[in-house]
Amino acid sequence: MMKPVNFGIDLGTTNSLIAKYDGNKVVVFKNPVGQKETLASVVAYRPDRILVGDKAREYLTKDPVNVFGNFKRKMGTDEKYYVVNIDDNVTPIQLSALVVKELKNFIHSGEVPEACVITIPASFDTMQSNATLKAGQEAGFKHIFLLQEPIAASLAFFNEVAGDSKKDGYWLVYDFGGGTFDAALVHSTEQELKVVDHEGNNFLGGADFDFAIIEKIIVPEIVRQTGIENFEQELRVKYGKYEKLYYEIMYYAEEAKKELSYSSSVVIEFNAELDNKKYEFSIPVTREKINEIFLPIINETIKLLKNVMENNRLTPKDINQVVLVGGSTFIPQVREQLALQTGISLNYSTDPTTSIAAGAAYYAANKYYESSPIEEAPEEIGGEILSTVEFTEPELKIETSYNKSSRDKEEVLLLFCQGAYENKFFRIIRSDGGFDTGYIPLKAKKTEFLSLVPAVSNLFNFYVYDTNYEEIKSFARQLSIMHGQYMVDGQPLPHDISIEVDDIENKTTRLEAIFERNSLLPQKRTLYREISKTIKKGSKDSVIINILEGDKNARPASNLTIGCITITGKDLKTDLVKGSDIEIQLHITDSRVLNTSVFLVMTQQEFKNVFSISEKQISLERLRDQYNDMETELTETIRQFQYNDDDIWEIKANALLEDLHSVKEKLFKLKTGDKSDEKYVIAEKIMRVSQAADKLGGNERISMLVEQYFELKERVLEAINSADFEKEEMRKKLQKIEQSEDSFIRSKNVSFIENKQKQLDELHWDALCNTTSFLISRYVLWRELPAEAFKDYSAARSLMKMADVSLEKENYPEFRKQVFSLTHLLVSMNVNANKDFKGTGIG
Amino acid sequence: MINPIHIMNQLFEMQAKINESGVAQNFERNFNRLFSLFEEEGYIIQDPTGEAYAETRTDCEASISGRIGSKMKITRTIKPIIYQKKDGGSVQLLQKGVVIAENN
Repeated sequence: MMKPVNFGIDLGTTNSLIAKYDGNKVVVFKNPVGQKETLASVVAYRPDRILVGDKAREYLTKDPVNVFGNFKRKMGTDEKYYVVNIDDNVTPIQLSALVVKELKNFIHSGEVPEACVITIPASFDTMQSNATLKAGQEAGFKHIFLLQEPIAASLAFFNEVAGDSKKDGYWLVYDFGGGTFDAALVHSTEQELKVVDHEGNNFLGGADFDFAIIEKIIVPEIVRQTGIENFEQELRVKYGKYEKLYYEIMYYAEEAKKELSYSSSVVIEFNAELDNKKYEFSIPVTREKINEIFLPIINETIKLLKNVMENNRLTPKDINQVVLVGGSTFIPQVREQLALQTGISLNYSTDPTTSIAAGAAYYAANKYYESSPIEEAPEEIGGEILSTVEFTEPELKIETSYNKSSRDKEEVLLLFCQGAYENKFFRIIRSDGGFDTGYIPLKAKKTEFLSLVPAVSNLFNFYVYDTNYEEIKSFARQLSIMHGQYMVDGQPLPHDISIEVDDIENKTTRLEAIFERNSLLPQKRTLYREISKTIKKGSKDSVIINILEGDKNARPASNLTIGCITITGKDLKTDLVKGSDIEIQLHITDSRVLNTSVFLVMTQQEFKNVFSISEKQISLERLRDQYNDMETELTETIRQFQYNDDDIWEIKANALLEDLHSVKEKLFKLKTGDKSDEKYVIAEKIMRVSQAADKLGGNERISMLVEQYFELKERVLEAINSADFEKEEMRKKLQKIEQSEDSFIRSKNVSFIENKQKQLDELHWDALCNTTSFLISRYVLWRELPAEAFKDYSAARSLMKMADVSLEKENYPEFRKQVFSLTHLLVSMNVNANKDFKGTGIG
Repeated sequence: MINPIHIMNQLFEMQAKINESGVAQNFERNFNRLFSLFEEEGYIIQDPTGEAYAETRTDCEASISGRIGSKMKITRTIKPIIYQKKDGGSVQLLQKGVVIAENN
């Protein structure tokens, strides 16, 4: 079957890219390791592995006998590089093939392309072109098409920029990259694009601008402040005393260059210790100044561009436009000088970094090849705590062994190979992109340390390659290591540990998990919350920090209180105002001792407490609130069972209510400071009633609640879709509720599901309040209400007048605001004010 | 919309400067608070200073000062490593750390 090639590769001297023509647009693939579109064209032969790309570049200057870059310049020559670490020679073709293979790993769609277009410089001769073809073949491509880079850049420009009135004629392609400069003259007709002539400098690029900033701005300032005479010479000494500083200022110079592309001035700031003395440098740099120091470099490129025109007896008016390619063309001074010195209009409408790869992909869309069948995708390993898995092929058997959970920063992977493992490689890449082993030769027995991101599930992709670094798909696997949980030799928490916070709207409290079940001890966390009620200095009002153990999804009463700090008005230095911040730091040790520190930001007071989990801590005030909540809830549940004629569950619910009532008298008679065990006995009773209440109605009630939840969700979605305001915000809120769907359905916990229903109800109401037709209908009703229905009727009348005008003018956003204001004036809106709700005081 | 990574980088830089000035303790609570706000939004901010450096660490862009060796350490962090938590408990690398590594 004939298929379009679609894949285009920019195999650059310093950086390479891969793109694909996908239907009607070009997608430039990103490196799964680090998510960058560009890959450094560098290969490093480290003692036990091969690295390709940015990581290899780090070693380029440090280990030149084993690390190779710029090999594109040697393509088509018989030059070989002797690699000390492998005691063998490698050719520029082999190195290029490794870069192309690495680019193939960028293709996230899982496709394995058999054909591609690779770009080459306009200056490449037949030998160099053939060498590029060979590199493509060694990288596993069966069909390769070559395309000159200036043509690729022009194609990207022609395809991505609208308007075709000036497509015929001459164009200049100005390609100023990180390390090289090329200028090409392209001629276009309706039928073809052709490179007429070109000039270039392989040692002129963006890095020269960074060096200029260091040399002309940073170094003179350091010398001025420190008086170190031979500083510049010393700075450049390999392994010299200022080497670390050199790398630091290289970074700042590059950042300043980038920032000055859109700002008129920047300040380069850094601290350094020079010759045992500390300095703080703050060096202002203006765009004017860098324009001056960049000019000689830019002039050099313009000279080459003009040479191309002169050699072909062309004047600026013969040229349609200069097409800009390469990262250095982002610099405003480059564009200004080009326009000024050539008088030709510039075109920088395509992304200069990716335009060559994009152009190659456009070209690839119109090239066809005969395709072969597709191979299958890898599968995931399931498993137990220690995973030992065998991957077997007729000639090769690989066994891996590793812990599926760890608390260490890295975890060891053991690899045992049998059979034909010689000259084959493996490679492991962590799926977030923060770890990559590079190509490592397979051995009979091999250990590799896998670095882990703390407290998350770390997924590693394991690959095996043949002698040509071609992946053997049947060995591809995903290894998963959970960090911080389920450690065999650590002590996991048996229950969730939560804090009780206020749910003002529903006049109740809810739990917020601090440490989740199975987290490994010790654990430490700081919570930042707001005070939900004002507490006057000297008053009896209090903030209660109630720490509970149990199911985080259950109601607080179902949990066991393990620590409690009560801060009353008498403890305060000043009033504690509603909305001020409270910081609660909790630390639970290996031996389950809970250290709590509470900091009131407004009064700058700290309260510390240490609880042993063997000692229960109970606040009488909270206990009474919990009793009242439980009583209300059970009464409501009984009413629902009566409504549904569910006699059996009604009897059970009544029995629970009776059980609860049995402690009422004692609870409300107890005095603060009572030394007896009574309050613990009552707390235990309330907890048991609460836990049993969650089971009332059995699975049928759960199923009904889940069903109601989904029906409600449908209604919320419809309401959001028909809303006229804040749709996106509401969709995000709905997504947030949906994210926990799995966990609350699995929890089979009544109060948890009911809580989610409440959240949906609130969102439903929000959606209605953001729908103009609903607001109009409410407004029409309210308009007819008598004066006593409003707290301030004259204010309500004046709002109604304004709303009438907005409605007449169809100014709905204004109308919405007025209706909202009117809502606050309704007496009925105050009926449920939380005057009786005391809560914890933590919002 | 402001890119939160820029804010995290600025915070990191401010913290580093304050640490050098000797008044770090006065601001510790504020920095913890600020970083925890980002953590609540699912970001993980890591300062790898003092950690071992190896060529497998693609979470950092390193400049190697001095001679390379098998026991390298990160001695300076110019930009922190930033991850973002994804659904299912995994993470995505948002920003590589910019560091200087040296042989021990």
